Amino acid sequence: MQAERFIIRGDLAAPTFLPWVARHLHRLGLHGQTRRESDACVELLVQGPPDLIDAMEMGVSLGPIEAWVETIERFRINGLPDG
Amino acid sequence: MPDWTPVALLRDLPPLVVMPVTVDGVDLALWRSASGRIAAWADRCPHRGMRLSHGFVRGEALSCIYHGWSYAQSGQCQRIPAHPDLEPPEAIRVPVHHATEAGGVIWVALDTVTTAPPALAGVQPLRSVTLDARFDPASAGLTESGGAWRGTLGGVAVAVLVQPLPDNRCALHVLAESKASPTDLVAASRGIETLRRQAEGVSA
Amino acid sequence: MTDPIRDEWYPVALVSQLGPEGRDTRLLGEPVRVAWQDGAIIVTSGGHTLPSQQRYGHVWACPGTPARPLFDIPEADQPGRRLVDVGLVRVKCSPLRAVENFLDIAHFPFVHTDILGAEPHTEVGKYDVAIREEVDEVWATKVHFYQPQAAKSAAGGITTEYMYRVPAPTVSILYKTCPPRPGEWDVITLFVQPLDEELCEVWPWMALFDDDTPMTDLIHFQQTIFLQDRSILENQLPHRLPLDPGMEIPTRADLTSIAYRRWLKRRGYTYGAQLVAA
Repeated sequence: MQAERFIIRGDLAAPTFLPWVARHLHRLGLHGQTRRESDACVELLVQGPPDLIDAMEMGVSLGPIEAWVETIERFRINGLPDG
Repeated sequence: MPDWTPVALLRDLPPLVVMPVTVDGVDLALWRSASGRIAAWADRCPHRGMRLSHGFVRGEALSCIYHGWSYAQSGQCQRIPAHPDLEPPEAIRVPVHHATEAGGVIWVALDTVTTAPPALAGVQPLRSVTLDARFDPASAGLTESGGAWRGTLGGVAVAVLVQPLPDNRCALHVLAESKASPTDLVAASRGIETLRRQAEGVSA
Repeated sequence: MTDPIRDEWYPVALVSQLGPEGRDTRLLGEPVRVAWQDGAIIVTSGGHTLPSQQRYGHVWACPGTPARPLFDIPEADQPGRRLVDVGLVRVKCSPLRAVENFLDIAHFPFVHTDILGAEPHTEVGKYDVAIREEVDEVWATKVHFYQPQAAKSAAGGITTEYMYRVPAPTVSILYKTCPPRPGEWDVITLFVQPLDEELCEVWPWMALFDDDTPMTDLIHFQQTIFLQDRSILENQLPHRLPLDPGMEIPTRADLTSIAYRRWLKRRGYTYGAQLVAA
């Protein structure tokens, strides 16, 4: 089990993007939280087995058709914040 | 809409076999484990959409033929061969429907069931046949009784179960009276062929 | 405004098998004729002559205005290689799905059992994928996989190294370890002709260092592999290649597939693609 912070950048203004990410977390059985920084940047905190966090990156990097994910930077963190 | 749809005769689905079936227009993978348990699942691997009815059964699990993802009886993924160290999460699972066997017939229900499939007494499984046409049991001289269409084929008393299929096709699962002799069964089997030709000829 | 789909090059015939009667076929849903005329091959559609050329054993045509020259395979001109025209396999699938499957190694133990892969050697290690901006191509490198019989010229099991390259939306080129010639790569390509969005003809072609294996064996080996793939390709749902993976579960082993789909999405190449998850 590990926790990571994804900094997702691209053309992310579509309102479908955050719900899509939340749905994909659920599909992988991962715990996580999303926060929109701007139309071009979304933060995702995610916790789970490393192979599934990799899978989350795979899914999000393609994402819904209305969004374009340019890059995903990943950082190890100690865990998800409470709440 | 009846709760249960007949999809196959049990003897056409031996252990370790998987086959495609269709219920209410929904494609399913029907399979039987080594120990004989029957399951009917959505015919689509959650990984990349390959039909699971092309997969393979090992022990009590069904695996997708494309990348070998294997799923336990509950539908839950239990192994991803490309990532052998990963314990798949409960969230990765194939939608599972109800499947059961009664009187040598396999029945499937897509949704919650409130009744048991009809128990057909006094008959033995004969064969299943797919018709490239709709089937009107009444015009074939059959009458409904006890959850099946009853009548005679080739002089033998039979019970016929109708499984509607897409594109105006259907499958008939035919059972013959228990006391029918091998000679009777051959005659009944010929009767099924005649029935098929008539049904397909009428709609052509 | 140019249409990125019409402005690509597509294979429409094998030069060595184009008889005097020519070939009537389809491209992007429209009838196309490939024919000899005064010793040259011309490609016509709807009364117009399409830009065409002969390269890598095939006739290539562009339904629109070529956006760029046909991709380069330098190995095709390297002395000592045998060039193998495998011929065509028709597949009832999206042309993009045919390419995606060609980029996949994780299916080898299950689809090409005891040829390109075998259990328990199923793990897919990490490899690198990049879009090479200067040439606008997808490249996967440092791909390693255990193979019981990697090629006709391979005697036993070996760990094979691969590189995959997508230089055009319906073309993939595979470079793989060449057992008789360490340091060189065998080249195996998949040229896909999109007949329509859910039907294609696939033209595998090879440039190999292998002087010993009879040509028919080389062709049969590749045809066997591709017929095994066809049973997969004709049974995937949805029929078109999803550019939204919301109904799928890609993992790191699918990295090349994801990179290919991202590249199609960014280029607006949607012929044979499924835009919304279904």
